[in-house]
Amino acid sequence: MLVRRSLVVAVAAAATVAAAAASLALGAVDVPLADVIDALTGSAGEGPFKQIVLELRLPRMVEAAAVGAALGIAGALLQGALANPLASPDVIGVTGGAGFGAVLILLVFPGSIALLPAGALAFGLLAAAFVFAIAWTGPNAGGVGRLILAGIAVGALFGAGTTAILTAYPDRVQSALFFIAGGLSSDGWRELEVVWPYFAGGFLVAACLMRPLDRLALGDDVAASLGARPRLIRLVAGIGAALLAAAAAAIAGLLGFLGLVVPHVVRLAGGTSSHTFVIPVSALVGSALLMAGDTLARTVKAPIELPVGPFMVALGVPLFLLLLRRAV
Amino acid sequence: MRTAALEARGVEVAIGGKEILRGADLTLEAGQLVAVVGPNGAGKSTLVRTVAGIQRKSGGAIRWMGKDVRELRGRRLARIRAFVPQSARVPEGVTVSEAVGIGRSVHIGPLQRPTRRDRDAIDAAIERAGVTQFTERKLTTLSGGELQRVQIAVALAQEAPVLMADEPTSHLDLGATVSVARLLRGLADEGLAVLLVAHDLALAAAVADTVVVMSEGRSVAAAPPGRALTRERLAEVWGVEASLQASRGGRTALHVGWLDQRVRQP
Repeated sequence: MLVRRSLVVAVAAAATVAAAAASLALGAVDVPLADVIDALTGSAGEGPFKQIVLELRLPRMVEAAAVGAALGIAGALLQGALANPLASPDVIGVTGGAGFGAVLILLVFPGSIALLPAGALAFGLLAAAFVFAIAWTGPNAGGVGRLILAGIAVGALFGAGTTAILTAYPDRVQSALFFIAGGLSSDGWRELEVVWPYFAGGFLVAACLMRPLDRLALGDDVAASLGARPRLIRLVAGIGAALLAAAAAAIAGLLGFLGLVVPHVVRLAGGTSSHTFVIPVSALVGSALLMAGDTLARTVKAPIELPVGPFMVALGVPLFLLLLRRAV
Repeated sequence: MRTAALEARGVEVAIGGKEILRGADLTLEAGQLVAVVGPNGAGKSTLVRTVAGIQRKSGGAIRWMGKDVRELRGRRLARIRAFVPQSARVPEGVTVSEAVGIGRSVHIGPLQRPTRRDRDAIDAAIERAGVTQFTERKLTTLSGGELQRVQIAVALAQEAPVLMADEPTSHLDLGATVSVARLLRGLADEGLAVLLVAHDLALAAAVADTVVVMSEGRSVAAAPPGRALTRERLAEVWGVEASLQASRGGRTALHVGWLDQRVRQP
């Protein structure tokens, strides 16, 4: 048991390092690994390699790692808190809200394109706040069924808003496609500077919830009898997941699929549902997958950049299906 | 006289404006097994959940070890009483020993790691509940009877002096029911205060020191089985013509007039 988990952690860590290295070295111009290391350690002389690595690829690699980790953790938090294997950031309305916010800026206010991350973040969090407000008031407040239904309804509402904008501005739809498909950009540190506090908040919530979430495993009654507060844990987990997923959408568009699949891959591979294992390893696997997917998206048809969403799905789904077939 | 583990008087509960409990009493003492019985909807589960601190009361007094239940929130209460719910969730991917570890978590602080003492307590709970042979199996692969014993092991890992189980035998076959009944009776004989909610009157009469009869939100009797489950009370509370027979060695039988039309309807 312990051997198997250690092996999964080792493989995930190795994959993360390899994906990070590939992400820095490969692209329209291939930079030899030795030059990448020189650039990172500061021992490289001025030149195009140093500039490519430090100004273009490093910020993008860090973005991919942060977004991948955030989505992996957001999925693990929601699946654990809602005791539902289908839970992902889509379920609490974040994806729908962030998509609406982004399309609104891109199509209705194309002059204010700098507001794109802030718009996606704000509407993602607004949608989640709306869902929590509905799910946590009235009788049976904080119940799982209510939260999921409220999330799907609010998601549909924002989805309809997105579609309405897309049909109202058919000539500008092209600019929204990249966001909807999901993809990173080489804009330096600008986007991370806006959203890093939300990532930090979400990661902190996840770290604090690892053990409380385990106590929910046997159901609310057992958790409550052990002195835990299931509804409070669920609310905090939902808020943490909303912060992470909204911040991820602000940087990389709609990649919600990652949040659904990564925690499953980790649980199936590790043979355990313990959150002290699933949450950190989901962060590793999420960042490895997204860094690898982004590197592929940049290199397959270089110098044209493809959206990373489809590549990640292409990488993630076979792995997921393989593990699913062998699951007990 | 020493303090009872649990002393509940006149407990009232209303959920969504509907009165569920209108005055129920319950006393638990160390070394005693108390069975709560009553027809469907009489308020058995609500009573047990309320004294366990999971359901909020709207009236009455509940004292654990002499302290008001409202002062005993969270982990402090969890170290006094363990509660086995009627239907616990059976999560995927969780092994028996991991589940029992969840019960132990009431003794482990948020930033602490399990100590040797905690691991020993988990092992002891697993052994006492008789689930040693499948500690590494996933919960989803266990039978109903095995699962119920695991739930009791989760509760035992809390090392609380009181164990409460809400209908632990309702979905079990005869063999599994007997095994759970023996386990609970054995725990009471070892000094725990045990509370059992049961539908099966013959079972309750066989294992309990005291039977509490619930009817329409009130406790209408609390006495040894022979005095609590009289022919008159069975007719009055359950509306059946039946009698309980007990012989030495803990053998009980319920004789039911299944097709008898002479029962006075309440």
